[in-house]
Amino acid sequence: MELQKADPRKTFGAAVTEIARQNKDIVIVSADSGGSSGFGDFKKEFPQRYFEFGIAEQGAVGMACGLAATGKIPVFCAIAPFVTLRPFEMFRNDIGYMRQNVKIVGRNGGISYSDLGSTHHSLEDFAIIRMIPGIQIFAPQDPNEIKSAVKAMLESPEPAYMRIGNDPIPFLFDESPFEIGKGRIVRSGKDVTIIMTGSLAASVIKAGELLAQRGIEAEIISMPTICPIDADLIKKSALKTKRIITVEEHYIIGGLGGIVSELSAEFLNVPVKRLGIPHTYAVSGPYQELLSYYKLDAEGIADSAEAAIR
Amino acid sequence: MAADIKKLESIAANCRRKVVRMVRSGGSGHLGGALSCLDILTVLFFHTLNHQPSNPKYPDRDRFILSAGHKCMALYSVLCQAGYFEEERLDTYGKLGTALPGHPNMRKLPGIEANTGALGHGLSIAAGMALGLRLDGKASRVFTVLGDGELPEGSNWEAIAAAAHHKIDNLIAFIDDNGLQISGKTTEIMNLEPISDRFKSFGWAVKDIDGNNIKEIVGVLENLPFEKGKPSVIIARTVKAKGLSFAEGKLSYHYWKPSKEELEQAERELDEAIKAKAV
Repeated sequence: MELQKADPRKTFGAAVTEIARQNKDIVIVSADSGGSSGFGDFKKEFPQRYFEFGIAEQGAVGMACGLAATGKIPVFCAIAPFVTLRPFEMFRNDIGYMRQNVKIVGRNGGISYSDLGSTHHSLEDFAIIRMIPGIQIFAPQDPNEIKSAVKAMLESPEPAYMRIGNDPIPFLFDESPFEIGKGRIVRSGKDVTIIMTGSLAASVIKAGELLAQRGIEAEIISMPTICPIDADLIKKSALKTKRIITVEEHYIIGGLGGIVSELSAEFLNVPVKRLGIPHTYAVSGPYQELLSYYKLDAEGIADSAEAAIR
Repeated sequence: MAADIKKLESIAANCRRKVVRMVRSGGSGHLGGALSCLDILTVLFFHTLNHQPSNPKYPDRDRFILSAGHKCMALYSVLCQAGYFEEERLDTYGKLGTALPGHPNMRKLPGIEANTGALGHGLSIAAGMALGLRLDGKASRVFTVLGDGELPEGSNWEAIAAAAHHKIDNLIAFIDDNGLQISGKTTEIMNLEPISDRFKSFGWAVKDIDGNNIKEIVGVLENLPFEKGKPSVIIARTVKAKGLSFAEGKLSYHYWKPSKEELEQAERELDEAIKAKAV
């Protein structure tokens, strides 16, 4: 059965705008990026709280920090590499070190700008942003979770980075409050723990069904908060299954796979198979074909998981 | 007004002495820039800024950001002189766990508004603050001091464009133009002259002054903004290491690790300056 889908960017922009109707401290920072981030309505309704800075992300992050220092809650959303790589020092010093309540949102994350090439891919954002102490990192996995994660992010006084994708994503979960730093088990199993985050959730859930048909009972953990990671849940599951597989639209180094590997090396001694994009400049092409190429569709994930544990 | 100028000059002399006190504590420090911008900071904190040292987070205060964070000894000295913290803390400079690190940290010391140090950050932060204060309908202004050496940072020009575009006229920037940076003359490293014209062409209101002349600094700050609807910038021509006879205008005093004799000479000179300027 085909699941109903929604555009992650529009979902995100609408969620922020809805909350901003109640909270006048929320302001938008745009680097010629607000319209494509779902902030069309916000701009119309609250033009005084919508700050356009042009294509100038370093200045935009610094100015967002200044706005936050006066009690505003700036939300700056643009194409993921341009809000992470380009202004990284501003992210570290102005947001992280100064501990300012700025929300940076990288859209078109991973390889979702598939045909635009490596300049527009974001395959290291989890890795570099988690190096900044005190930044919460979110990668919500379906439209309902985007909405609840936006609410939790805006209610938290801490700086945050959120990554969302581009293509419409299916509704997977019922609406429920987002708990920062908490994962949850969405399928119980005993043979292997699969930890997923972000845009690949639907494929991982499907892969769980394929694995079951092959006699493998996977326990699937949904992990929409990358930092702080829910180490307790990972430990509990891994001590049962004795194997972990991570799945993310990110380099296999540095992101969710990296975090879980670090945890395992220090506390669990459980083998970790990391699924994602190899550490290279990814090929370009249609998004779904690209995911299949890197074995990140349901079939590919199931095959890799099976190979890893047999 | 004349008495005020004399008083400010006296305060500046005391603040210069505090800078050297910190160098004695730490054994070294970014002396040259601290002393070149010190008169500007003195006028700001003792004449211009609406602030309350006993209530550093006073919501309606004017803000000050030292974009050239390595000149922090100037900021620490005026904050101390103004009563933000007790003098004894100056003697922790350069020591383990100090609240006065080599670049300022707002989480450690009252009166610090931003963690600067990496160059090219302060102006963007200041512009954002000014926007936020304006949005709240406050009369607060945001002042910042940049070094001339940090002007080539591209992020500065992003903020310079944005401040004019958004007509942020509660933003006032000083360029502490001492003409020297770590490798030589700023005009030889990366020539941005005529600085005034560059700012004008970006839509700022510009004034040029002698940035070590208290009277001129006071004068330029009498009527702000210079033009309604435009950010203001003051190109302050200054002298590196101003106030120390043996160091003035010399590149080698950008970062100072004094000998015992040099340190004692500096202390003697500045003690004498305090006496000479006493009101």
